[in-house]
Amino acid sequence: MHNPFEPPNRRLSLYIHIPFCERKCNYCAFDSVVPSADDCDVYLELLNKELEWWSSRINRPLLSTCYIGGGTPTVLGCAQWERLIQIIDSHFYFDDTSEVTVEANPNSLSGAHLHLWRDWRITRVSIGVQSFDDDELKILGRLHNAMQAREAISYALLSGFSVSADFMFGLPGQTFLNWGRTLREAAHSGLHHISLYQLSLEEGTPLAAQSPKLPEGYESYRWAQWYLPHKNYMQYEISNFALAGHESQHNLNYWREGEYLGMGPSAAGYIAGWRYKNTSGLKKYEQRIGAGGSAIASGERLDAYHRSREAAVLALRTSAGIAREEYCETFGKSAEQSLLNSLNKFSEELVTITDKNIMLTRKGMRVANRIWSEIV
Amino acid sequence: MYLELDRIRNFSIIAHVDHGKSTLADRLLEDTGTVDKRNMKAQLLDMLDLERERGITIKLVPVRMNYKAKDGKEYILNLIDTPGHVDFSYEVSRSLAACEGAVLVVDSTQGVEAQTVANSYLAVDLDLAILPVLNKIDLPSAQPDRVRKEIKEIIGIDADDAALVSAKTGEGVPDVLERIVRDVPPPFGDTNAPLQALIFDSVYDNYKGVICYVRVVNGTLNAGKTIHFMATKQDYELDEVGVFKPEMVKVDELGPGEVGYIAASVKTITEAHVGDTITDASRHAAAPLPGYRKVKPVVFCGYFPVERENINQLREALEKLQINDSAISFEPENSVALGFGFRCGFLGLLHMEISKERLNREFGVDLVATAPNVVYQIVLTNGEVIEAHRPSDFPDPVKIQEIREPYIKLSIFMPDEFVGAAMKLCQDKRGTYVGMDYLTPERVRLAYNMPLAEFILDFNDKLKSVTRGYASLDYDHIGFRAANLVKVDVLIQDEPVDAFSFICHDDQAYSRGHAVVGKLKELIPRQLFEIPVQAAVGKKVIVRMNIKAVRKDVLAKCYGGDITRKRKLLEKQKEGKKRMKQVGRVSIPQEAFLAFMDVTKTEDK
Repeated sequence: MHNPFEPPNRRLSLYIHIPFCERKCNYCAFDSVVPSADDCDVYLELLNKELEWWSSRINRPLLSTCYIGGGTPTVLGCAQWERLIQIIDSHFYFDDTSEVTVEANPNSLSGAHLHLWRDWRITRVSIGVQSFDDDELKILGRLHNAMQAREAISYALLSGFSVSADFMFGLPGQTFLNWGRTLREAAHSGLHHISLYQLSLEEGTPLAAQSPKLPEGYESYRWAQWYLPHKNYMQYEISNFALAGHESQHNLNYWREGEYLGMGPSAAGYIAGWRYKNTSGLKKYEQRIGAGGSAIASGERLDAYHRSREAAVLALRTSAGIAREEYCETFGKSAEQSLLNSLNKFSEELVTITDKNIMLTRKGMRVANRIWSEIV
Repeated sequence: MYLELDRIRNFSIIAHVDHGKSTLADRLLEDTGTVDKRNMKAQLLDMLDLERERGITIKLVPVRMNYKAKDGKEYILNLIDTPGHVDFSYEVSRSLAACEGAVLVVDSTQGVEAQTVANSYLAVDLDLAILPVLNKIDLPSAQPDRVRKEIKEIIGIDADDAALVSAKTGEGVPDVLERIVRDVPPPFGDTNAPLQALIFDSVYDNYKGVICYVRVVNGTLNAGKTIHFMATKQDYELDEVGVFKPEMVKVDELGPGEVGYIAASVKTITEAHVGDTITDASRHAAAPLPGYRKVKPVVFCGYFPVERENINQLREALEKLQINDSAISFEPENSVALGFGFRCGFLGLLHMEISKERLNREFGVDLVATAPNVVYQIVLTNGEVIEAHRPSDFPDPVKIQEIREPYIKLSIFMPDEFVGAAMKLCQDKRGTYVGMDYLTPERVRLAYNMPLAEFILDFNDKLKSVTRGYASLDYDHIGFRAANLVKVDVLIQDEPVDAFSFICHDDQAYSRGHAVVGKLKELIPRQLFEIPVQAAVGKKVIVRMNIKAVRKDVLAKCYGGDITRKRKLLEKQKEGKKRMKQVGRVSIPQEAFLAFMDVTKTEDK
């Protein structure tokens, strides 16, 4: 029988969500809770079942990348990590080129974690530093201070990982100078990869309830775009800067319309031209998986036009932009022409069109949402 | 067998808005058993939802009632309703012309208002018997004595004997019916004379086509006859005649004095002019009935579909609206900024607003309306006189010898404590003082001549606010007068946007230009480039502001590869933008076009 999920030689990406945190941060609206009692152990067994559900449909694929995020994966203790590794290994293959990333928070990252990860096949550690300013960390409700962040980075580097850190701009009270300091320290701390996000107030979070005044953030981002490349962190994607060879393959896979599976509550996946999203919240996830089914709550398969537009939006996140030849092969010459028509209202300051590629300029990246919303 | 003329009474009810006209009409229908109490929809005469919401009547729905009076005789009472707004004064006059009497309803807690006076004067001019009725007599704040005095002093009718009524409770209503029989003169007419019947309204009926509401003066109307419309000079086959009970009921004939409807082979409502006279095609009357004039729109504005591709939907909707409202005129218009649309003419501001709302509500049309304007007469240097219906009709300033604008004479009724504020408002609106008189020791009538353009801007709203709603007003058109007017253009990214052009007095050009540009700066969202917004008179820029390029754009984390969510967010943004009008590269939200109408109103000093 034909299995729609299984063309030959498939290489997949896998995202595993760990929906637990020691404490919810003030700004966070993602799917995570503070675990009690044996929540984590129960969850790992549910995860095992979800992976089983998938592996009965996709025959142990080779993972080109794997990303274990959250939440806070370092909430899991060593024994739990061993179980998680066992689960992943029993359903998927890796090879020497597989990129395997885990997210870590400075306060819960331990030497034991690092040992365990190195002994398995983790290649990258992404640390949620957010800021090197203690006041800003407090406003965000983070559990760590700047010193702990520095230590976490050092240990991860010493353990031989490719290390990335997340930073946030547009924070309440964040001055341009503060942001400059954080960035400078980031660029001098040996990181291989730097991700930048702008704080957005999400409905229902404690921070949004205070409705603080947020700086525009525009200058902060522009500064990073100028400064980080000077320190050899090239902007390869709208939110990401990396030393050569340290780009996150897992993220690039998203923007190149590569296939990936998402496991855990609220995780999303894209496979066989079909985007799905898992049910949110631990409780519903438990019900669904416990009943022997999948956790998929919704899915959509786009028509050719919308897919071509989505692909363009995704590709325009990357500095390489849209590879025109490939785009034409996939979606046809007329789809490309229609895309170019939608883009021609933007000046050369924002969009660069060459024979081979269509890309956003740095300035274009600063107003990317506006441009995307025109072509989506 | 025709009805005996002395058993017919044709009457109207005239009243100010909210003084209880519709409620009284409902009671009359109930008391005469014309409409079953159970089937009585509150205020039956106000048929359209919109009218009911606004508490005003626009369409005239005549009703025939059978009434057995105390003298033991059966009478036919025809109630011809009149619209209660100054925009429709010609229609009111034609409805009144179909009657011999008018019941003048005055709220005994409020007193005489401008509309009451205007319509009473119309009735007096037409020699109608006027029956004063003091309504809301059940309310503790009723002051019948004061109001009687006002009626006597202002309208010149003896109201000592006025009926005291509570339309709400029904008290005094039987007395009103008796008075109608007693005081309204029966009609007179000659069955054998050549046919003369007055069209006092026309509507479109899905089954019967165009229905004319008629009052027969002389001769008879019966199905099969060929009739002739004297103003439009057209002949039609008469298909059906009938009366309103209040639903349409077919009858064999309508004779002199009778009120009813006709259905003929009239194709469109524009052929059935209110005020036209119907006669016999084979035996023309010597002359039409007096008082006919062709209704001319006085206020114009442009309607444009929000989505350009919906132009046909808008055209169809306007056509359908016109089927029931011949006073609306429209012609195609092409705006640089807004694409294809229609320049529409209305009898007044209220008429315009109601039409817009009906288009939206009944036909589901999303439209942008440009600021209303009046018709200007422009005398060119070569002596030619042209009419300008919109700012873009204005020729190059060097070719203009003189611009004339329509003026109205405005009468405002209010308690005397507001006189100062009202006078200041009139002065601000380029009004010239005509006179003032005390109606009673506390109430004043103020008369001003004023450009209609100033009046339609926002005079009503402003008057309401400075007089806390205690003023009422009425106006008459008094012709065109020369004025020092200029056309102000608004330029966005150096391109004039015709929808934002406006005509104003030279003295106000700067302040209004400043207000408009300021408002646009506020309402046009920042875009990917800087946008200069300017106001200019001819080639001279008088105001300039810049809308800075967009700088705020959240770089949110796209967690766990949830791309569908991101795409949906982007699509939502796109939808928001789609609702905006594209002018060159600039997206202008609909609110900017709407607010433009408000600013030109509010910001003058």
